[in-house]
Amino acid sequence: MVNQKAMQSLKLPFTLPRSLSRFFTFSITPFKDARDYQILFLSVFLLLGVSTRDWSLKPIAIALTFATCWLTQICMVSIFPTLHKHERWLSLKSATITALGLSLLLRSDSYGAIACASFLAIASKFIFRTNGKHWFNPANFGIVMVLLLDNYVWNNHAWVSNGQWGEDSLYALIFLGLGGIVLKKVGRWDTSFMFLAAYSILEGLRNVWLGWTWDVLAHRLTSGSLLLFALFMITDPRSIPNAKIARLIWAVAIAVLAFIFRNVFFNADAMFYALFLISPLTVLCDRLWNAPRFQWLPKRYSALRSAQT
Amino acid sequence: MKRFLIWIRVLLSTAIACLVIFAYSPAVFAFCGFYVSQADASLFNKASQVVIARDGKRTVLTMANDYQGDIKDFALVVPVPVLLKKEQVRIGEQKIIDRLDSFSAPRLVEYFDSDPCARYEAYDRAASVGITRSAAPATESKARRDNYQVTIEAKFAVGEYDILILSAKDSDGLESWLIDNDYKIPQGAKELLQPYIRQNMKFFVAKVNIAELSKTGSQSLRPLMMAYESPKFMLPIRLGMLNANGDQDLLVYILSPKGQAEVANYRTIKVPSDTDIPVYVKNEFGDFYKSMFKTSYNKEGRKVAFLEYAWDMSSCDPCSSEPLSQEELRKAGVFWQDSPSSIQPSGRRIRPIPTNNGRVFITRLHIRYNRDKFPEDLTFKETSNQESFQGRYVLRHAFTGATTCDAGKEYQRSLRPRFEKEAQTLSSLTGWNIADIRRKMNISSLPDPVEVPFWENLWK
Repeated sequence: MVNQKAMQSLKLPFTLPRSLSRFFTFSITPFKDARDYQILFLSVFLLLGVSTRDWSLKPIAIALTFATCWLTQICMVSIFPTLHKHERWLSLKSATITALGLSLLLRSDSYGAIACASFLAIASKFIFRTNGKHWFNPANFGIVMVLLLDNYVWNNHAWVSNGQWGEDSLYALIFLGLGGIVLKKVGRWDTSFMFLAAYSILEGLRNVWLGWTWDVLAHRLTSGSLLLFALFMITDPRSIPNAKIARLIWAVAIAVLAFIFRNVFFNADAMFYALFLISPLTVLCDRLWNAPRFQWLPKRYSALRSAQT
Repeated sequence: MKRFLIWIRVLLSTAIACLVIFAYSPAVFAFCGFYVSQADASLFNKASQVVIARDGKRTVLTMANDYQGDIKDFALVVPVPVLLKKEQVRIGEQKIIDRLDSFSAPRLVEYFDSDPCARYEAYDRAASVGITRSAAPATESKARRDNYQVTIEAKFAVGEYDILILSAKDSDGLESWLIDNDYKIPQGAKELLQPYIRQNMKFFVAKVNIAELSKTGSQSLRPLMMAYESPKFMLPIRLGMLNANGDQDLLVYILSPKGQAEVANYRTIKVPSDTDIPVYVKNEFGDFYKSMFKTSYNKEGRKVAFLEYAWDMSSCDPCSSEPLSQEELRKAGVFWQDSPSSIQPSGRRIRPIPTNNGRVFITRLHIRYNRDKFPEDLTFKETSNQESFQGRYVLRHAFTGATTCDAGKEYQRSLRPRFEKEAQTLSSLTGWNIADIRRKMNISSLPDPVEVPFWENLWK
């Protein structure tokens, strides 16, 4: 019923048949789902990177990432049917976000590595689950697995370019601004803020102890990659702990581990490994602190929809 | 209607955000009118050259030595990550560094247009740009102290150098010790030595032994090589900024079995390459490259590193010099060639090293650093990126013979717009005055492309 009314209020000259209206349900209410914002902004970043930061655009690689992510999502959702039918198509949005994240972060000159990363990223959502919740951030899992393979097994031809954004206050502002919008929608500002605060304090302490001037610290903290990580990667609301206090502790743990990896082990990809290692602790955090799991669409909304189909 | 407004609002705010970005970076879009003053001729004279051969944590670092002042005053102070023993330090060969330089230098290639009326082709290869280096001067100061808290961890002589490995607890002490022992280091070194001391780095201090130098029979100082194992993959450029206020050039040749290396804490971008430029630049290639580099550097806000060459060393296309032989690569520090797939213990852990078949990949990075935009020491990162890149600039010589056939006339008509385009490219790359370029190219002597009215062909 709601369907038909919505169609009419859009003042289309015709009414869609019921079978087709299912495909248009999500587009009737644009940007109610926070994932829409995230997809839009990540696409903007990708365009920015290609146009102003001199990245070499590889359309085939990007297309391959998207295709593999979507296909894997569709296959996995069919094999592990945990979602309602209409939500399956919507879950492709999460796959799109993962694909965008991989395109932004992972660099490769081999299509095999890209396909491998995309496949592992999406598959991890279905393999590593407890009580129906996946604990690895999919893009992070894909990247770390491929990096580990590259470093320790064979030349996987995949890497992350940490300096690809440079250290520019302009990009810092853009990331903070657009990231802020998404985080407000999903209510996970606290995680980002805690991570950045903890990491900044640790780096600041180190800076003071070493005796560098403040511009060294500013240079380290305005790295575009760091901000992108803090605003978009560790705040995936479906895989981080549910309770607020748990998230804060979890964010601090990641900051501490990233700091150690970067300054004690001199690993440039510190942040990704830190998140990868801390992710399984989500399960423990959820057990200790109870809270409802995050939903992309409000419950009553999806209930209404399931009533129609 | 309401939903439509929501869409519009979101898209509009995103569009405004994008506009802000593009407003912020005017340099990118002021391409056609962006004139920069002529590059200073001494720009590349202060370039230091460093070769780093790295596989995992194992590093062989070679520092070229281009000190031009009085040999007695020479003092080299370099923070190194680990204690070095005499066996880990060697004298290198300047010739090898020069070979690496010429192998990876940006190259000019020329093509000769074939006779548009006949069919033959010939092309040649031409000069490449070499970088000249010179010294960093040092100033004097005197002080006296009793307790320096400096430990001489090792003391040995290698070739014409007397080398000490120092560890210090305090930068005051270290600075005083160095000055009191006649190592001429500049004023203000104390603040910059402190971070390295705190990071637990040792100091490699070298002086020249005049007697040994006269035995070698040469007047110039030879490069120093050091081999060590450390997770740190960095170059302490902050210390080098001590006595220079302006920009300093650094050429780093990174040799790796995996692939390209890049700077991890600054942006690395490629120099403009594969562009057609006017033929007269053949005699001015050095000036051209200097100007072009400076223009690109300024356009990027003076805070990026430039990639000039990245290639597997077993091949080159076109070659600006002979590829280095196995022996020469060994002298450059490549240590993984003999044992391509052996399993070697590192520390207490044994892990298999990925097979690389003795491949050597060279990355040439040109970094022009300065105090305000490069506050951090350079950190590098190996990647398994095996894409090839080279700085390559193309000259196309026009065919100078007689062209009487129709195709020939077509060809002559096409020359002027082509030359004009080359002039525009040159102007935008280097910032040179377009009128001067046109004059030097003698574009005006070329026939104007006269439009033949279409009916002439029809009703001859």
